[in-house]
Amino acid sequence: RVVPLNTWVLISNFKVAYNLQRRPDGTFDRDLSEYLDRKVPANINPVDGVFSFDHVDGATGLLNRVYQPSSRIESRWRIVDLEKPLSATEVVPVIVFFHGGSFTHSSANSAIYDTFCRRLVNVCKAVVVSVDYRRSPEHRYPCAYDDGWAALKWVKSRTWLQSGKDSKVHVYLAGDSSGGNIAHNVAVMAAEAGVEVLGNILLHPMFGGQSRTESEKRLDGKYFVTLQDRDWYWRAYLPEGEDRDHPACNPFGPRGRTLDGLEFPKSLIVVAGLDLIQDWQLAYVKGLEKCGQQVKLLYLDKATIGFYFLPNNDHFYCLMNEIKGFISSDLN
Amino acid sequence: MLRYDSTSSSAGSSSGSLSSSSSSSKPPQQDIDGLLAGAGYKVRSSELRQVAQRLERLETAMGNSPADFSQLASDAILYNPSDLACWVDSLLTEFAEPPPTCSSDFIVDPVNNQTVVNSAWTAAEPHTPQVHQNITYDEQQSLDNQLTVVTAMEEDSGIRLVHMLMTCAECVQSGDLSLATSLIDDMQGLLTHVNTVCGIGKVAGHFIDALSRRIFQGMGGGSVNGGSAFENEILYHHFYEACPYLKFAHFTANQAILEAFDGHDCVHVVDFNLMHGLQWPALIQALALRPGGPPLLRLTGIGPPSPDGRDSLREIGLRLAELARSVNVRFAFRGVAASRLEDVKPWMLQVNPKEAVAVNSIMQLHRLLGSEQTRNSPIDTVLSWIRGLNPKIMTVVEQEANHNQPGFLDRFTEALYYYSTMFDSLEACRVQPEKALAEIYIQREIGNVVSCEGSARVERHEPLAKWRRRLSGAGFRALHLGSNAFKQASMLLTLFSAEGYSVEENEGCLRLGWHSSPLIAASAWQAVPAWDNHMSSS
Repeated sequence: RVVPLNTWVLISNFKVAYNLQRRPDGTFDRDLSEYLDRKVPANINPVDGVFSFDHVDGATGLLNRVYQPSSRIESRWRIVDLEKPLSATEVVPVIVFFHGGSFTHSSANSAIYDTFCRRLVNVCKAVVVSVDYRRSPEHRYPCAYDDGWAALKWVKSRTWLQSGKDSKVHVYLAGDSSGGNIAHNVAVMAAEAGVEVLGNILLHPMFGGQSRTESEKRLDGKYFVTLQDRDWYWRAYLPEGEDRDHPACNPFGPRGRTLDGLEFPKSLIVVAGLDLIQDWQLAYVKGLEKCGQQVKLLYLDKATIGFYFLPNNDHFYCLMNEIKGFISSDLN
Repeated sequence: MLRYDSTSSSAGSSSGSLSSSSSSSKPPQQDIDGLLAGAGYKVRSSELRQVAQRLERLETAMGNSPADFSQLASDAILYNPSDLACWVDSLLTEFAEPPPTCSSDFIVDPVNNQTVVNSAWTAAEPHTPQVHQNITYDEQQSLDNQLTVVTAMEEDSGIRLVHMLMTCAECVQSGDLSLATSLIDDMQGLLTHVNTVCGIGKVAGHFIDALSRRIFQGMGGGSVNGGSAFENEILYHHFYEACPYLKFAHFTANQAILEAFDGHDCVHVVDFNLMHGLQWPALIQALALRPGGPPLLRLTGIGPPSPDGRDSLREIGLRLAELARSVNVRFAFRGVAASRLEDVKPWMLQVNPKEAVAVNSIMQLHRLLGSEQTRNSPIDTVLSWIRGLNPKIMTVVEQEANHNQPGFLDRFTEALYYYSTMFDSLEACRVQPEKALAEIYIQREIGNVVSCEGSARVERHEPLAKWRRRLSGAGFRALHLGSNAFKQASMLLTLFSAEGYSVEENEGCLRLGWHSSPLIAASAWQAVPAWDNHMSSS
């Protein structure tokens, strides 16, 4: 095996569970999905240096879970003072994180993502806001992007997330799988609206296209993921009747748009060498470069999807270092 | 079929796959894979390889007959997904191909020409549900995780109010009653400036009242909730209507009881708090519709004595009997009047050894916890006689809160967050007077938690993790509530309640909460037969 045993068990279990939830007719057993998803509540008590609390949007019921380093907490009463900015002098990065799950699975309060966000806080000394978005097939494109955009605007407008002498919210967008796709699209919306995003971190982002690439054919079914399930998720997310060259799926494809001249944030794109959709991710990197946008590719040769869920492999540590460097290079 | 955890520590009698763990020198708790625990799964490191192998078999089976798999997926009932080893095994039992010794996975029934599963194989399958010791490794962690979900306040007044509440509570704990009193005055004033629509503002007034009562009564506590049994019943009924917590409790317990009674002709439900008997019409009707016909149902309802000569228990019994008669269910009712649960003796219940017994406790067990942790505390006594009844099932629903800590400030803080979440959820209720009376119901609970002590403080809520330990220690094992109960609870919420409530599965138990904060937990238990009990007696 190329992955540690516990990682293999974790991801295989997801694969089996997800197979149970997807129906061949394109519908989805949401009840079963919620039943099986392991969730954790927020915790205002610091655990390993991080505490969290939830903000729920009254209108939509969507959750934003905010993670902060425990130095921020008013230790006596476990109250977060939401009057003050994060810091008046230093810059404290705020990472808006979109969880993965192929637009269909998981939530901000899923255990795997809660754990991951906590690690991000410690590694980057950042505040992380993990965002819930409406999922497919119940809610198709562009719901996830709209929700992501709303979350970004919410984050940008919180005075208690501001930092630095310039008193603004220093935002990075991040996401894995579908979350990476959402991060890209929200960044485009932000750039078009003149809302500043300092950087994008895309962890094996979910892209695709109508044609079948070499990596898809070579790796189909080899490392947890099949083309068949990828197709299912696109059919569930894209508007009915659309194909995979829809720009949401294939941003630099035949129906894609150029980002030339757009104030797009710098990007860190992480590609797992055993991910069958890597050709699309590499095409995305090329697409960004062609538009003159700043992009760094981190290609992890022997990594499979989900390598970052458990800190038991070199790729995980390499990733964390890269993310840390990507963010801290702006702090000076 | 209900699934259970064995609390037996020596599982060597089941298949050889557990032999490695029983010969392992580490106690099972420390053998849990820590990284998977962080992802919400409990697997012993020593079993990882076997789980992986079985996952592989499962994947192969899925690949071979994907259409059948999809159909079976919607019919199967799944339990306790955190326990990966058990879960994978249960899926294998449902879906997998037989081991190579069997010639085919399906045989055609020659009489009906229908395809049936090779039942001989499933019965003989040596890997059918593994029994595992209750894993207690991270219960402390989950206990801590339940401590609070913060209400983030974005208003100056709101924050100041909370600060003052906490300071006041700290003064009360340290005995500085004069400062506490002046803080009460300040807070009353501040309350007029605070937005009382959002969680903390709304509930702060009740906490100020409760603190104030505590201060002025001295530490002796007193009968704060002077409400009569009649009043309490009215408030309870409105709380039942205004929000889904009690409906969820009844519904989930009934589902489990129904399953436990399957195949029994004489069944006896012991309800620890009858109230208006709101839980039972649904069970009576479900039993009436049971394939094969309803059993003889006995219901023993425990409740406080009526002061004015009315026999309210009997009245409720008569109404239920009327309903049972109308759906042709043979029914017998007995009322047991007792002011406290610990005054009930098992002989009063007149349990017949031939009947299947269900003990139903909706938010009653915590009242037995008492302030001293003595050897024969009421909880131990009651759990012991429950066990003696050898019930088919004991359904337990409790508030998912930590309101029984010895330190007053800790308790106060917990309660502040718990009840502000509950009040938040109540905002969604639009019907009056249900909402107003439900608020009074909750307010009385707050009053008890905050201003009472000793035997007067009966609202001694403890979280699920603690109940698990307590009940396991008292000789009970968990019966898992499965995916069908989860689905039905979710449906119930959609039908009867506003958006925002969510059901969550937690190691075989179900928790209902407001957004992602669990507020009430339902679980089911069975007594471990005495000869099966390998646990230490302490």
